[in-house]
Amino acid sequence: MKNKKLAIPSAIYVALCFIFLYLPIVVTMVFSFNSSKSLTSMTGFSMQWYARLIEDGSIMKAVYVSVSIAMFATIISTALGTITAIGLSKCKKVLKDVIINLNDIPIMNPDIVTAIGLMILFSSITLEKGYLTMLLSHIAFCTPYVLTSVYPKVRNLDPNIAEAALDLGATPFEALTKVIIPMLKDGIFAGMLLAFTMSFDDFVISYFVTGNGVQNISIIVYNMTKRTNPTINALSTIVILIIAITLIVINVMPERFKNFMKYFAAGLFAAGLIVTVFTGFAGTQRTLRVYNAGEYADPSVLESFEREYGARLIYETFDSNESMYTKVKSGAQYDIIIPSDYMIERLINEDMLKPIDWSKLTNADGLDPAIMGFDFDADNTYSVPYFVGTVGILYDKTVIDEEDLSEGWELLRNEKYKGNIYMYDSERDSFMVALKALGYSMNTDNKDEIDEAYRWLIEQRDRMDVVYAGDDVIDNMISGNKALAVVYSGDAAYIISENENMGYLEPSQGTNEWCDSMVITKDCEDEELAHEYIDYMLSYDAAYANSAYVGYSSPITEVSNELSEEDYEGIDAYVPDFGYELNESFRYQETSIKQYFADLWTKVKAY
Amino acid sequence: MKHFSKLVRPYLVWMVLIVVLPLLLIVLYSLTTGGNELVNISFTLDNFKKIGEPVYFDVLKKSFTLGIASVLICLVCGYTLAYIISRQNEGIQDLLILFVTIPMWINTLLRTYAWISILSDNGLVNKLLVLLGFAPANLMYTDIAVLLGLVSDMLPFMVIPIHTSIRKIDPSLIEASHDLGADNIQTFIKVIFKMSIPGVINGVMMTFLLSISTFVIPKLLGGGQYMLIGNLIETQFISVGNWNFGSATSIILTLIIIIGMSLMRKFDREKED
Repeated sequence: MKNKKLAIPSAIYVALCFIFLYLPIVVTMVFSFNSSKSLTSMTGFSMQWYARLIEDGSIMKAVYVSVSIAMFATIISTALGTITAIGLSKCKKVLKDVIINLNDIPIMNPDIVTAIGLMILFSSITLEKGYLTMLLSHIAFCTPYVLTSVYPKVRNLDPNIAEAALDLGATPFEALTKVIIPMLKDGIFAGMLLAFTMSFDDFVISYFVTGNGVQNISIIVYNMTKRTNPTINALSTIVILIIAITLIVINVMPERFKNFMKYFAAGLFAAGLIVTVFTGFAGTQRTLRVYNAGEYADPSVLESFEREYGARLIYETFDSNESMYTKVKSGAQYDIIIPSDYMIERLINEDMLKPIDWSKLTNADGLDPAIMGFDFDADNTYSVPYFVGTVGILYDKTVIDEEDLSEGWELLRNEKYKGNIYMYDSERDSFMVALKALGYSMNTDNKDEIDEAYRWLIEQRDRMDVVYAGDDVIDNMISGNKALAVVYSGDAAYIISENENMGYLEPSQGTNEWCDSMVITKDCEDEELAHEYIDYMLSYDAAYANSAYVGYSSPITEVSNELSEEDYEGIDAYVPDFGYELNESFRYQETSIKQYFADLWTKVKAY
Repeated sequence: MKHFSKLVRPYLVWMVLIVVLPLLLIVLYSLTTGGNELVNISFTLDNFKKIGEPVYFDVLKKSFTLGIASVLICLVCGYTLAYIISRQNEGIQDLLILFVTIPMWINTLLRTYAWISILSDNGLVNKLLVLLGFAPANLMYTDIAVLLGLVSDMLPFMVIPIHTSIRKIDPSLIEASHDLGADNIQTFIKVIFKMSIPGVINGVMMTFLLSISTFVIPKLLGGGQYMLIGNLIETQFISVGNWNFGSATSIILTLIIIIGMSLMRKFDREKED
């Protein structure tokens, strides 16, 4: 009956579909061998990202978390889903409808809603966030998929078969395991596969329900967006190869080896279980919970801190101040957090921080006095600077006329450069640009001024064909895609070091002077260790390593001098001009004003 | 056989605790004001009224248009693929389906990043265009980029259920149809397509859900100006911190989806009866 050969048009179609599905994967693999950080242009062959992958303990730990959670969640949800599907076919109609409809909720709900719901739930029953909460959540969203795959198969079963088994003397348990379940094999297998896939790939839900340093691959990847690098491509290349090899081995292997493989897999699984249980009892070492932005510290610095102080770091990363705040507010506990200026002010206002004991910080002398005492924490009672910088315009010297530079922020509305401009996809930074261009304070709460800034942005958007880009700006500007972009000084320094055609302009109308600082939370138990950590980050070696790794300016005078003479020689963006009269730093906004900005920003973007 | 019905009890309890309870909390948020602390709450419907404002309504509209467009593309491409696959030998079928599944195991975020490398101004596609003597095209931050990203992410979710249901069709039915004088096209429409409808519905539901609630793909490929309902919810919860409005938006989304799904399911059942 069936065509044994693939007709040529069909073969072409199948090939096209697979090219479409595999193109991104091939690209991922190719760039894992890139010699530079770029993800758009190959500069040469190198294995450095593989080396870095093996060195980076946090990625290896994430792999372990992703795989083990996916395995546990798959097994538990498959069992639960299958049993329920079988029971469901025998239920009263009302109960059946209730269960089917409830079962749809996790599938239908947007991930983010499920995530927030679970997060609130776990906080309100004070369940400590971590491996267990992540596993429970994964079971919660995987089981419905198993049920929906198995239940149709149950419906198609001939009910007489089970009856027959019972009549022939089988116990209900035997009827279940020996007759029904084997007949549902296909559905169960499909459900398992789906559950594993969903769990392994999940980002949003895991992100909200986890804590205490438990992170899966997706969370690591997302937090890397600030500074994407091919390490993660190297990881996925390895994952792809493992999957491909496993599948080939299974398909080619002779039958008798399959049993052996089953035991081998079971053994591996048991080993994984034991390791999971034991990592829970890590001993009585001093531990410190640090919450930092993604890719914001050199991993080797963290390791040497652990070695020198005999302490264990639980190091977690976030992608934005806001998600950090949401997480902390929902009950996640940390000893040290490294947020930005306005967020620190908010944390101070909400009485969430402990004062710093400056007498314990032996390296504090190295701090540049110019970047101390920002308005958000005028006498540095609560915060110790970590990285500093400004926001400015990155411009292509070969395209932009020198004389146009005097326009400052208005350069972004110069029609000569229409369609040639990236704005930064950030509400506060975009409004900062508009407010500064109009000569207002960027912390204004005057609605007339805000409305004027809103009209400035709308006009700019319509006149200039603006693209609001995220951190991909870095890569795009290195490749010289557009002539103008609003960027942070640290990113500008990195871009200029890779593409010397670019220049950095800090408009004289004033700009945002930002300062990311280390703070100690009220949850901190080991203040001694917290101060040791902060002090260590201020030491010359650590600050140098971090600044060289991240590319942002160090608040340690000696380090920034040294680096601006070495790696970033001749790049003024590395040491931005502080103390322009009109420069400001962001202040915390009241909820009502924040909401006002957010609504306007939605209107600017959604068109 | 009746005692099998007891098997649903553990799951029922589990769902009440971990599905219904969180949802009730969200409903509570959507009906109140007073921010993230549930200390001094007051009940209000303002959060829902706000969704009626033109900006947010447009966001809803755009989400649906894009969602439906991507589902249709997935359906046409996915059905063809599933059908072709189902015509092969058992062994080849298994292998091809395996190859359809593998991309789902590679992190979505990573695959989306890869699309950036492919579509960006000096990415793969544009390099190819220039090589062939065409002018480079602006692909990033357009509907095309978002659609491509969505379809490549969701295609496997369409192919697998459709393939499963086509494969289930008893070959003798197709033979019978031919014996009764139907040509290939008639057989396809009246037998194969009709019998694969459960799979189609499953696939459509899955892809529609994925496309309508996504926020990572439009954010990365559509740029910051690309606001879909998923992005709106995410912004409200994460960057704006207005959990009340965020909850109201998600309740609306959930309601619309539930209504849509029950309609489809009803259609599914009528088909089978």
